[in-house]
Amino acid sequence: MSAPPTFESPQPSRSRSLELLGIFSGLTAGAWLGAAEAPTKLVTLGLSPMVISLVMVVGVFLARWSLPALILGASSIRADARRAPHLIIWAILAGCLWAVANTLTVYAIRDIGLSIAFPLWNSNSLLGILWGFLFFNELRGAGLTRWLGVLGGTLVMCVGAAILAVASSGAHAAGENPAHGVLAALGAGVLWGTMYIPYRKAYLSGMNPLSFVTFFTIGELGMMSALSFGTLGAQTLFAQLTSARGVIFWLMLGGFIWVIGDLFQQYAAKYVGISRGIPLSNTNQLWGLLWGVLVFGELHGRSSTTYAQVIGGSLLMIFGVAAIALSSASPKESAQWRAAARRESNRYALSAEFVEARMDGRQSAGEAAPSRGALDWLFVALATAVFLYFATIARVPNIPAHWTPAILLSIISLILLAACGLRLWRTTRFQ
Amino acid sequence: MTNGSGTPQPSSNRLAKIFTDVQFWVPVAVLLAGLFLLEWIR
Repeated sequence: MSAPPTFESPQPSRSRSLELLGIFSGLTAGAWLGAAEAPTKLVTLGLSPMVISLVMVVGVFLARWSLPALILGASSIRADARRAPHLIIWAILAGCLWAVANTLTVYAIRDIGLSIAFPLWNSNSLLGILWGFLFFNELRGAGLTRWLGVLGGTLVMCVGAAILAVASSGAHAAGENPAHGVLAALGAGVLWGTMYIPYRKAYLSGMNPLSFVTFFTIGELGMMSALSFGTLGAQTLFAQLTSARGVIFWLMLGGFIWVIGDLFQQYAAKYVGISRGIPLSNTNQLWGLLWGVLVFGELHGRSSTTYAQVIGGSLLMIFGVAAIALSSASPKESAQWRAAARRESNRYALSAEFVEARMDGRQSAGEAAPSRGALDWLFVALATAVFLYFATIARVPNIPAHWTPAILLSIISLILLAACGLRLWRTTRFQ
Repeated sequence: MTNGSGTPQPSSNRLAKIFTDVQFWVPVAVLLAGLFLLEWIR
Protein backbone atom coordinates (compact mmCIF):
# COMPACT_ATOMS: atom_id res chain seq x y z
CA MET A 1 0.00 0.00 0.00
CA SER A 2 1.39 3.40 -0.92
CA ALA A 3 1.96 6.09 1.66
CA PRO A 4 -0.39 9.09 1.44
CA PRO A 5 1.16 12.01 -0.38
CA THR A 6 2.42 14.88 1.71
CA PHE A 7 2.42 18.56 0.84
CA GLU A 8 4.72 20.99 2.50
CA SER A 9 4.15 24.73 2.48
CA PRO A 10 6.72 26.61 0.39
CA GLN A 11 8.88 29.34 1.91
CA PRO A 12 6.74 32.41 2.78
CA SER A 13 8.82 34.55 0.42
CA ARG A 14 8.16 32.07 -2.43
CA SER A 15 4.41 32.05 -1.65
CA ARG A 16 4.34 35.84 -1.70
CA SER A 17 6.30 35.94 -4.95
CA LEU A 18 3.87 33.51 -6.62
CA GLU A 19 0.92 35.46 -5.34
CA LEU A 20 2.24 38.75 -6.70
CA LEU A 21 2.88 36.95 -9.97
CA GLY A 22 -0.76 35.80 -10.02
CA ILE A 23 -2.01 39.36 -9.41
CA PHE A 24 0.29 40.75 -12.11
CA SER A 25 -0.89 38.02 -14.50
CA GLY A 26 -4.54 38.88 -13.79
CA LEU A 27 -3.98 42.56 -14.54
CA THR A 28 -1.98 41.82 -17.70
CA ALA A 29 -4.77 39.47 -18.78
CA GLY A 30 -7.23 42.35 -18.44
CA ALA A 31 -5.12 44.58 -20.73
CA TRP A 32 -4.81 41.95 -23.48
CA LEU A 33 -8.39 40.66 -23.27
CA GLY A 34 -9.52 44.28 -23.61
CA ALA A 35 -7.15 44.91 -26.52
CA ALA A 36 -8.64 41.89 -28.33
CA GLU A 37 -11.77 43.95 -28.94
CA ALA A 38 -9.86 46.47 -31.06
CA PRO A 39 -9.39 44.38 -34.26
CA THR A 40 -13.04 43.29 -34.15
CA LYS A 41 -14.13 46.94 -34.10
CA LEU A 42 -12.56 47.28 -37.55
CA VAL A 43 -15.15 44.85 -38.91
CA THR A 44 -18.23 46.76 -39.94
CA LEU A 45 -19.79 44.32 -42.42
CA GLY A 46 -23.25 42.93 -41.76
CA LEU A 47 -21.97 39.49 -40.77
CA SER A 48 -23.83 37.06 -38.54
CA PRO A 49 -22.44 37.25 -34.96
CA MET A 50 -22.10 33.46 -35.16
CA VAL A 51 -19.71 33.77 -38.12
CA ILE A 52 -17.71 36.48 -36.32
CA SER A 53 -17.39 34.21 -33.26
CA LEU A 54 -16.44 31.20 -35.39
CA VAL A 55 -13.67 33.04 -37.27
CA MET A 56 -12.32 34.47 -34.02
CA VAL A 57 -12.28 30.96 -32.53
CA VAL A 58 -10.30 29.71 -35.54
CA GLY A 59 -7.70 32.40 -34.72
CA VAL A 60 -7.88 31.31 -31.09
CA PHE A 61 -7.34 27.67 -32.10
CA LEU A 62 -4.25 28.49 -34.14
CA ALA A 63 -2.83 30.60 -31.31
CA ARG A 64 -3.59 27.98 -28.67
CA TRP A 65 -1.66 25.33 -30.60
CA SER A 66 1.24 27.46 -31.81
CA LEU A 67 2.01 29.56 -28.70
CA PRO A 68 2.32 26.58 -26.29
CA ALA A 69 4.42 24.77 -28.93
CA LEU A 70 6.67 27.81 -29.19
CA ILE A 71 6.98 28.43 -25.43
CA LEU A 72 6.93 24.91 -24.02
CA GLY A 73 7.12 22.38 -26.84
CA ALA A 74 4.65 19.61 -27.68
CA SER A 75 6.72 17.02 -25.80
CA SER A 76 6.02 18.78 -22.48
CA ILE A 77 2.33 19.00 -23.32
CA ARG A 78 2.25 15.26 -24.13
CA ALA A 79 4.07 14.51 -20.86
CA ASP A 80 1.49 16.57 -18.93
CA ALA A 81 -1.33 14.67 -20.64
CA ARG A 82 0.28 11.32 -19.77
CA ARG A 83 0.63 12.29 -16.11
CA ALA A 84 -2.99 13.42 -15.72
CA PRO A 85 -5.02 12.16 -18.72
CA HIS A 86 -8.31 12.68 -16.90
CA LEU A 87 -7.79 16.45 -17.15
CA ILE A 88 -8.14 16.33 -20.94
CA ILE A 89 -11.86 15.64 -20.41
CA TRP A 90 -12.17 18.67 -18.13
CA ALA A 91 -10.24 20.88 -20.54
CA ILE A 92 -12.52 19.93 -23.47
CA LEU A 93 -15.57 20.36 -21.23
CA ALA A 94 -14.39 23.87 -20.31
CA GLY A 95 -13.94 24.71 -24.01
CA CYS A 96 -17.53 23.57 -24.73
CA LEU A 97 -18.84 25.68 -21.82
CA TRP A 98 -17.03 28.73 -23.22
CA ALA A 99 -18.48 28.27 -26.72
CA VAL A 100 -22.08 27.87 -25.54
CA ALA A 101 -21.73 30.87 -23.20
CA ASN A 102 -20.28 32.98 -25.99
CA THR A 103 -23.19 32.06 -28.28
CA LEU A 104 -25.74 32.88 -25.57
CA THR A 105 -24.29 36.40 -25.30
CA VAL A 106 -25.13 36.96 -28.98
CA TYR A 107 -28.81 36.31 -28.26
CA ALA A 108 -28.68 38.31 -25.02
CA ILE A 109 -27.32 41.41 -26.80
CA ARG A 110 -29.91 40.99 -29.56
CA ASP A 111 -32.84 40.86 -27.13
CA ILE A 112 -31.90 43.22 -24.28
CA GLY A 113 -28.81 45.15 -25.41
CA LEU A 114 -25.30 45.19 -24.01
CA SER A 115 -26.04 47.56 -21.11
CA ILE A 116 -28.44 45.10 -19.45
CA ALA A 117 -26.83 41.89 -20.68
CA PHE A 118 -23.26 42.67 -19.61
CA PRO A 119 -23.89 43.09 -15.86
CA LEU A 120 -25.95 39.89 -15.89
CA TRP A 121 -23.26 37.69 -17.43
CA ASN A 122 -20.52 39.50 -15.50
CA SER A 123 -21.90 37.71 -12.44
CA ASN A 124 -19.63 34.82 -13.54
CA SER A 125 -16.92 36.05 -11.15
CA LEU A 126 -19.32 35.72 -8.20
CA LEU A 127 -20.14 32.17 -9.23
CA GLY A 128 -16.39 31.53 -9.58
CA ILE A 129 -15.98 32.56 -5.92
CA LEU A 130 -18.75 30.14 -4.91
CA TRP A 131 -17.23 27.19 -6.80
CA GLY A 132 -13.76 28.08 -5.56
CA PHE A 133 -15.04 28.02 -1.98
CA LEU A 134 -17.13 24.86 -2.33
CA PHE A 135 -14.75 22.68 -4.35
CA PHE A 136 -11.23 24.01 -3.90
CA ASN A 137 -11.14 25.41 -0.34
CA GLU A 138 -10.57 28.95 -1.59
CA LEU A 139 -11.18 31.64 1.06
CA ARG A 140 -11.47 28.95 3.77
CA GLY A 141 -9.73 30.14 6.90
CA ALA A 142 -9.27 33.48 5.17
CA GLY A 143 -10.78 35.62 7.93
CA LEU A 144 -13.43 38.33 7.69
CA THR A 145 -11.12 41.04 6.30
CA ARG A 146 -10.02 38.94 3.32
CA TRP A 147 -13.59 37.78 2.70
CA LEU A 148 -14.71 41.38 2.65
CA GLY A 149 -11.80 42.32 0.38
CA VAL A 150 -12.49 39.60 -2.20
CA LEU A 151 -16.29 39.47 -2.14
CA GLY A 152 -16.71 43.20 -1.55
CA GLY A 153 -14.10 44.02 -4.21
CA THR A 154 -15.83 41.74 -6.72
CA LEU A 155 -19.24 43.26 -5.99
CA VAL A 156 -17.85 46.79 -6.36
CA MET A 157 -16.25 45.74 -9.66
CA CYS A 158 -19.59 44.33 -10.86
CA VAL A 159 -21.34 47.63 -10.06
CA GLY A 160 -18.54 49.59 -11.79
CA ALA A 161 -18.76 47.29 -14.82
CA ALA A 162 -22.54 47.74 -14.96
CA ILE A 163 -22.16 51.55 -14.94
CA LEU A 164 -19.54 51.38 -17.70
CA ALA A 165 -21.77 49.10 -19.77
CA VAL A 166 -24.70 51.53 -19.44
CA ALA A 167 -22.47 54.49 -20.36
CA SER A 168 -20.74 52.89 -23.32
CA SER A 169 -23.70 51.27 -25.06
CA GLY A 170 -26.14 53.24 -27.13
CA ALA A 171 -29.92 53.08 -26.88
CA HIS A 172 -31.19 49.61 -27.67
CA ALA A 173 -34.57 48.92 -29.21
CA ALA A 174 -36.43 46.23 -27.29
CA GLY A 175 -36.02 42.81 -28.86
CA GLU A 176 -38.83 40.38 -29.62
CA ASN A 177 -38.47 38.56 -26.36
CA PRO A 178 -36.67 40.39 -23.51
CA ALA A 179 -37.22 37.48 -21.11
CA HIS A 180 -35.20 35.25 -23.43
CA GLY A 181 -32.44 37.88 -23.46
CA VAL A 182 -32.29 37.99 -19.66
CA LEU A 183 -32.16 34.19 -19.47
CA ALA A 184 -29.46 34.04 -22.14
CA ALA A 185 -27.30 36.59 -20.29
CA LEU A 186 -27.75 34.85 -16.94
CA GLY A 187 -27.07 31.49 -18.62
CA ALA A 188 -23.82 32.82 -20.11
CA GLY A 189 -22.76 33.98 -16.64
CA VAL A 190 -23.49 30.57 -15.12
CA LEU A 191 -21.63 28.74 -17.93
CA TRP A 192 -18.57 31.02 -17.71
CA GLY A 193 -18.57 30.88 -13.91
CA THR A 194 -18.69 27.08 -14.02
CA MET A 195 -15.94 26.95 -16.64
CA TYR A 196 -13.52 27.92 -13.86
CA ILE A 197 -14.05 24.56 -12.11
CA PRO A 198 -11.92 22.75 -14.74
CA TYR A 199 -9.35 25.58 -14.66
CA ARG A 200 -8.73 25.31 -10.95
CA LYS A 201 -8.92 21.51 -10.93
CA ALA A 202 -6.20 21.34 -13.59
CA TYR A 203 -3.87 23.68 -11.72
CA LEU A 204 -4.36 21.98 -8.37
CA SER A 205 -3.38 18.77 -10.18
CA GLY A 206 -0.15 20.25 -11.48
CA MET A 207 -1.07 20.65 -15.15
CA ASN A 208 0.74 23.45 -16.96
CA PRO A 209 -1.67 26.22 -18.13
CA LEU A 210 -0.13 25.98 -21.61
CA SER A 211 -1.03 22.28 -21.77
CA PHE A 212 -4.54 22.93 -20.48
CA VAL A 213 -5.39 25.52 -23.14
CA THR A 214 -4.16 23.21 -25.91
CA PHE A 215 -6.92 20.71 -25.03
CA PHE A 216 -9.43 23.41 -24.04
CA THR A 217 -9.47 24.72 -27.59
CA ILE A 218 -10.57 21.37 -29.04
CA GLY A 219 -13.85 21.72 -27.11
CA GLU A 220 -14.02 25.40 -27.98
CA LEU A 221 -13.62 25.00 -31.75
CA GLY A 222 -15.64 21.76 -31.91
CA MET A 223 -18.64 23.21 -30.08
CA MET A 224 -18.46 26.56 -31.89
CA SER A 225 -18.36 24.80 -35.30
CA ALA A 226 -21.30 22.57 -34.33
CA LEU A 227 -23.34 25.56 -33.16
CA SER A 228 -22.54 27.57 -36.30
CA PHE A 229 -23.46 24.70 -38.63
CA GLY A 230 -26.58 23.97 -36.58
CA THR A 231 -27.74 27.59 -36.54
CA LEU A 232 -26.88 28.80 -40.04
CA GLY A 233 -26.59 25.62 -42.09
CA ALA A 234 -23.54 24.72 -44.16
CA GLN A 235 -24.59 26.72 -47.24
CA THR A 236 -25.24 30.03 -45.46
CA LEU A 237 -22.15 29.60 -43.30
CA PHE A 238 -19.94 28.99 -46.35
CA ALA A 239 -21.49 31.93 -48.21
CA GLN A 240 -20.90 34.27 -45.25
CA LEU A 241 -17.33 33.06 -44.80
CA THR A 242 -16.63 33.65 -48.49
CA SER A 243 -18.07 37.15 -48.38
CA ALA A 244 -16.05 37.86 -45.22
CA ARG A 245 -12.67 36.97 -46.81
CA GLY A 246 -11.42 40.53 -46.51
CA VAL A 247 -12.02 40.80 -42.77
CA ILE A 248 -11.09 37.28 -41.66
CA PHE A 249 -7.57 38.47 -40.76
CA TRP A 250 -8.86 41.15 -38.34
CA LEU A 251 -11.16 38.70 -36.60
CA MET A 252 -8.45 36.06 -36.32
CA LEU A 253 -6.06 38.71 -35.01
CA GLY A 254 -8.65 39.56 -32.34
CA GLY A 255 -8.73 35.85 -31.42
CA PHE A 256 -4.93 35.71 -31.29
CA ILE A 257 -4.67 38.73 -28.98
CA TRP A 258 -7.45 37.28 -26.85
CA VAL A 259 -5.42 34.08 -26.37
CA ILE A 260 -2.45 36.05 -25.03
CA GLY A 261 -4.78 37.62 -22.44
CA ASP A 262 -6.35 34.27 -21.67
CA LEU A 263 -2.94 32.66 -21.06
CA PHE A 264 -2.21 35.26 -18.39
CA GLN A 265 -5.69 34.65 -16.96
CA GLN A 266 -4.81 30.96 -16.65
CA TYR A 267 -1.66 31.81 -14.68
CA ALA A 268 -3.71 34.14 -12.47
CA ALA A 269 -6.19 31.31 -11.79
CA LYS A 270 -3.25 29.05 -10.97
CA TYR A 271 -1.38 31.34 -8.56
CA VAL A 272 -4.15 33.32 -6.82
CA GLY A 273 -7.11 31.00 -7.42
CA ILE A 274 -10.31 31.66 -9.33
CA SER A 275 -11.91 33.78 -6.59
CA ARG A 276 -9.21 36.45 -7.01
CA GLY A 277 -7.79 35.77 -10.50
CA ILE A 278 -11.05 36.02 -12.43
CA PRO A 279 -12.22 39.40 -11.05
CA LEU A 280 -8.74 40.81 -11.66
CA SER A 281 -8.78 39.78 -15.32
CA ASN A 282 -12.33 41.14 -15.67
CA THR A 283 -10.64 44.56 -15.80
CA ASN A 284 -10.62 43.88 -19.54
CA GLN A 285 -13.76 45.99 -19.72
CA LEU A 286 -11.77 49.05 -18.65
CA TRP A 287 -9.16 48.43 -21.34
CA GLY A 288 -11.82 47.74 -23.97
CA LEU A 289 -13.41 51.06 -23.08
CA LEU A 290 -10.05 52.86 -23.32
CA TRP A 291 -9.57 51.47 -26.85
CA GLY A 292 -13.13 52.36 -27.79
CA VAL A 293 -13.00 55.92 -26.44
CA LEU A 294 -9.42 56.95 -27.30
CA VAL A 295 -8.91 55.11 -30.59
CA PHE A 296 -12.38 54.81 -32.10
CA GLY A 297 -13.92 57.95 -30.55
CA GLU A 298 -16.91 55.99 -29.33
CA LEU A 299 -18.19 58.45 -26.74
CA HIS A 300 -17.47 61.53 -28.84
CA GLY A 301 -20.18 64.17 -28.43
CA ARG A 302 -21.98 62.33 -25.62
CA SER A 303 -23.38 64.15 -22.59
CA SER A 304 -21.40 65.05 -19.47
CA THR A 305 -23.55 62.50 -17.59
CA THR A 306 -22.07 59.76 -19.76
CA TYR A 307 -18.52 60.92 -19.05
CA ALA A 308 -19.33 61.08 -15.32
CA GLN A 309 -20.64 57.51 -15.52
CA VAL A 310 -17.46 56.36 -17.27
CA ILE A 311 -15.19 58.02 -14.69
CA GLY A 312 -17.30 56.76 -11.76
CA GLY A 313 -17.53 53.22 -13.13
CA SER A 314 -13.80 53.11 -13.83
CA LEU A 315 -12.94 54.34 -10.33
CA LEU A 316 -15.22 51.72 -8.79
CA MET A 317 -13.51 49.01 -10.83
CA ILE A 318 -10.08 50.26 -9.74
CA PHE A 319 -11.18 50.26 -6.06
CA GLY A 320 -12.48 46.71 -6.47
CA VAL A 321 -9.21 45.56 -8.03
CA ALA A 322 -7.20 47.16 -5.20
CA ALA A 323 -9.37 45.47 -2.56
CA ILE A 324 -8.90 42.05 -4.17
CA ALA A 325 -5.18 42.51 -4.80
CA LEU A 326 -4.62 43.50 -1.16
CA SER A 327 -6.55 40.48 0.17
CA SER A 328 -3.74 37.98 -0.32
CA ALA A 329 -4.21 34.41 0.88
CA SER A 330 -3.18 33.85 4.49
CA PRO A 331 -0.96 30.87 5.43
CA LYS A 332 -4.12 29.22 6.81
CA GLU A 333 -5.90 29.63 3.46
CA SER A 334 -2.83 28.44 1.53
CA ALA A 335 -2.86 25.29 3.68
CA GLN A 336 -6.49 24.75 2.62
CA TRP A 337 -5.47 25.05 -1.07
CA ARG A 338 -2.88 22.36 -0.45
CA ALA A 339 -5.55 20.17 1.14
CA ALA A 340 -7.61 20.54 -2.05
CA ALA A 341 -4.55 19.60 -4.12
CA ARG A 342 -4.02 16.57 -1.85
CA ARG A 343 -7.58 15.49 -2.59
CA GLU A 344 -6.89 15.58 -6.35
CA SER A 345 -3.58 13.83 -5.88
CA ASN A 346 -5.12 11.04 -3.81
CA ARG A 347 -8.18 10.59 -5.99
CA TYR A 348 -6.36 10.40 -9.32
CA ALA A 349 -3.16 8.80 -8.03
CA LEU A 350 -0.94 11.69 -9.09
CA SER A 351 2.62 11.94 -7.89
CA ALA A 352 2.59 14.08 -4.76
CA GLU A 353 6.04 15.39 -5.52
CA PHE A 354 4.96 16.41 -9.03
CA VAL A 355 1.80 18.21 -7.88
CA GLU A 356 3.65 19.98 -5.10
CA ALA A 357 6.44 21.11 -7.42
CA ARG A 358 3.99 22.45 -9.99
CA MET A 359 1.94 24.30 -7.35
CA ASP A 360 5.22 25.83 -6.26
CA GLY A 361 5.86 26.93 -9.85
CA ARG A 362 8.80 24.65 -10.59
CA GLN A 363 9.57 21.41 -12.40
CA SER A 364 9.44 18.15 -10.47
CA ALA A 365 12.55 16.08 -9.83
CA GLY A 366 13.60 14.10 -12.89
CA GLU A 367 11.25 15.97 -15.21
CA ALA A 368 12.78 16.66 -18.61
CA ALA A 369 13.37 20.32 -19.41
CA PRO A 370 10.98 21.67 -22.06
CA SER A 371 12.41 21.37 -25.56
CA ARG A 372 11.10 22.11 -29.03
CA GLY A 373 11.23 19.71 -31.96
CA ALA A 374 10.32 19.72 -35.63
CA LEU A 375 6.61 19.25 -34.84
CA ASP A 376 6.58 22.44 -32.76
CA TRP A 377 8.15 24.50 -35.51
CA LEU A 378 5.66 22.98 -37.94
CA PHE A 379 2.74 24.19 -35.77
CA VAL A 380 4.27 27.66 -35.56
CA ALA A 381 5.01 27.78 -39.32
CA LEU A 382 1.47 26.60 -40.22
CA ALA A 383 -0.21 29.13 -37.93
CA THR A 384 2.03 31.91 -39.24
CA ALA A 385 1.31 30.91 -42.85
CA VAL A 386 -2.46 30.99 -42.28
CA PHE A 387 -2.25 34.42 -40.65
CA LEU A 388 0.02 35.73 -43.41
CA TYR A 389 -2.31 34.41 -46.12
CA PHE A 390 -5.35 36.15 -44.65
CA ALA A 391 -3.27 39.30 -44.04
CA THR A 392 -2.45 39.47 -47.75
CA ILE A 393 -6.13 39.39 -48.73
CA ALA A 394 -7.30 41.59 -45.84
CA ARG A 395 -9.04 44.85 -46.68
CA VAL A 396 -7.67 47.90 -44.91
CA PRO A 397 -10.69 49.16 -43.00
CA ASN A 398 -12.00 52.55 -43.95
CA ILE A 399 -13.11 53.73 -40.54
CA PRO A 400 -11.83 56.73 -38.61
CA ALA A 401 -9.35 55.80 -35.90
CA HIS A 402 -6.88 57.82 -33.86
CA TRP A 403 -3.53 56.16 -34.38
CA THR A 404 -1.47 57.96 -31.70
CA PRO A 405 -3.50 56.57 -28.77
CA ALA A 406 -3.62 53.21 -30.59
CA ILE A 407 0.18 53.11 -30.70
CA LEU A 408 0.42 54.23 -27.06
CA LEU A 409 -2.04 51.58 -25.86
CA SER A 410 -0.21 48.95 -27.93
CA ILE A 411 3.11 49.96 -26.35
CA ILE A 412 1.61 49.76 -22.84
CA SER A 413 0.16 46.31 -23.61
CA LEU A 414 3.50 45.13 -25.00
CA ILE A 415 5.36 46.43 -21.94
CA LEU A 416 2.93 44.54 -19.69
CA LEU A 417 3.38 41.42 -21.84
CA ALA A 418 7.18 41.64 -21.67
CA ALA A 419 7.31 42.46 -17.95
CA CYS A 420 4.80 39.80 -16.86
CA GLY A 421 6.17 37.22 -19.32
CA LEU A 422 9.70 37.81 -18.03
CA ARG A 423 8.56 37.53 -14.44
CA LEU A 424 6.68 34.30 -15.23
CA TRP A 425 9.80 32.93 -16.91
CA ARG A 426 12.16 33.93 -14.10
CA THR A 427 9.89 32.73 -11.30
CA THR A 428 8.31 29.62 -12.78
CA ARG A 429 9.81 28.92 -16.23
CA PHE A 430 6.17 29.14 -17.41
CA GLN A 431 5.14 26.28 -15.11
CA MET B 1 -0.07 7.00 -15.04
CA THR B 2 1.38 6.27 -11.62
CA ASN B 3 0.67 7.30 -8.09
CA GLY B 4 3.18 8.70 -5.64
CA SER B 5 4.80 5.30 -5.12
CA GLY B 6 4.89 4.46 -8.81
CA THR B 7 1.88 2.10 -8.87
CA PRO B 8 0.08 2.28 -12.25
CA GLN B 9 -3.60 3.18 -12.20
CA PRO B 10 -5.78 1.17 -14.64
CA SER B 11 -7.80 3.31 -17.05
CA SER B 12 -11.10 1.67 -15.98
CA ASN B 13 -10.37 2.77 -12.44
CA ARG B 14 -9.60 6.26 -13.69
CA LEU B 15 -12.93 6.44 -15.55
CA ALA B 16 -14.76 5.31 -12.41
CA LYS B 17 -13.03 8.10 -10.49
CA ILE B 18 -14.10 10.65 -13.11
CA PHE B 19 -17.73 9.53 -13.21
CA THR B 20 -18.06 9.65 -9.43
CA ASP B 21 -16.49 13.10 -9.16
CA VAL B 22 -19.02 15.85 -8.47
CA GLN B 23 -16.60 18.30 -10.12
CA PHE B 24 -17.26 16.46 -13.38
CA TRP B 25 -21.04 16.35 -13.13
CA VAL B 26 -21.55 20.02 -12.18
CA PRO B 27 -19.95 21.35 -15.43
CA VAL B 28 -21.69 18.61 -17.46
CA ALA B 29 -25.09 19.52 -15.99
CA VAL B 30 -24.47 23.24 -16.59
CA LEU B 31 -23.36 22.56 -20.18
CA LEU B 32 -26.48 20.49 -20.92
CA ALA B 33 -28.68 23.16 -19.34
CA GLY B 34 -26.91 25.79 -21.47
CA LEU B 35 -27.50 23.81 -24.67
CA PHE B 36 -31.14 23.33 -23.74
CA LEU B 37 -31.51 27.07 -23.05
CA LEU B 38 -29.86 27.91 -26.38
CA GLU B 39 -32.19 25.58 -28.27
CA TRP B 40 -35.21 27.01 -26.47
CA ILE B 41 -34.49 30.69 -27.10
CA ARG B 42 -33.41 30.29 -30.73
